[in-house]
Amino acid sequence: MPKILKPTQPEKCIGCEMCVFEAQRQLKKVGMEESLIRVFRKKSEGKQNVEFELEIDPRINILDIDKISSICPRGVFEVLTEQSQESEKDTNPEKGREQEKSAV
Amino acid sequence: MIDLTVKKILDIDLETQKAETKSFTDLNSYIGGTGLGLKLLEMYSDKSPIIISTGPLNGFFPFASKTSIVLINDGAVEDIYLGGSLSTRIKFAGLDSIIIHGTAKEETVIEIQNSNAFLKEGSTDLESLGLPGKRTVIEFDGKKVISDQYFTTPENYLEKKFIEKNIKGLSITGTEIYSPKDFDEYKNLYEEMLNRKNELSVEMGGYPSCSGCPMGCGKSKIGEIGGNILLNSLVACQYADKIYTDIGTIFSCLNSLGYGYTHEDIENLPTLVEQTIKKI
Repeated sequence: MPKILKPTQPEKCIGCEMCVFEAQRQLKKVGMEESLIRVFRKKSEGKQNVEFELEIDPRINILDIDKISSICPRGVFEVLTEQSQESEKDTNPEKGREQEKSAV
Repeated sequence: MIDLTVKKILDIDLETQKAETKSFTDLNSYIGGTGLGLKLLEMYSDKSPIIISTGPLNGFFPFASKTSIVLINDGAVEDIYLGGSLSTRIKFAGLDSIIIHGTAKEETVIEIQNSNAFLKEGSTDLESLGLPGKRTVIEFDGKKVISDQYFTTPENYLEKKFIEKNIKGLSITGTEIYSPKDFDEYKNLYEEMLNRKNELSVEMGGYPSCSGCPMGCGKSKIGEIGGNILLNSLVACQYADKIYTDIGTIFSCLNSLGYGYTHEDIENLPTLVEQTIKKI
């Protein structure tokens, strides 16, 4: 069953970019360019709370996504199977739509 | 491009509004970070510069996550350290140091994209510059210089320089990539270093973290000042000192990337830096 990397708890992200670098290492390169994961800082009003947004290229799923998920110190990601994602949508269509949005 | 055989410097003159990149092979023995910064301070001492430098391991290995800033404050040489994403962005811009000197006539925003610098009006929206996800934005709000909306430096040395030079902010984008000479060795060393996170003198937390550090410790928010010269030249985090003062490990890391350093280069650094400081 094909596996899919999903940022199920993006609000926990601390912007360390460990996932970005792991994905790049699996492609035998170091740097930010053409990375299959991007971490953006959201401009916040009060400057007290820094928030992050994740953008994931679906091609990430050809890499070792278990390793990418496990390098995250905050448990932002989950590795799902396509089947579990489909059944999630069937039982909770609203959550299914939210997951698609956050995963881009 | 990232060239490990030279030290590549971006020289920004606010007086003439011109910028140029310079490559030096004869500065390699200063390693990077504060070692390199102090040598550049000696070379530019009459220009009241701000010298921002990365070390040879920044962007490549975990916990090598700080950026060195060297300047002269009230006649004294000061070295301060900033956390966040800046060191990786400078590294992936293909630069070792950024030197900002002279004084701008009007408030200025500096945009750096790899080896190029563009000087813009102070009213420019920093968020409109550079490439999100590959950039660091540094903003001066009139009180503190803040990087990545969170990280600062100790004391007010950097803030005084920003006022003196009329700098409102910087955006630095790095889009270069690098393939280490011995990739498998590099990857193994990376994992070994990461597995040593229990040797850090901070606890894991949920605060915004420096790029390439999984700790989220909250202590890096206020930056660092002074400290061990090897650590500061590698621009590693002071809380990772047990790892980054282990010369054998450092030497293996440098070698895997393709640097041509010898053990003697690392061992001789403190003396070299001491001699440089005496000349400033």
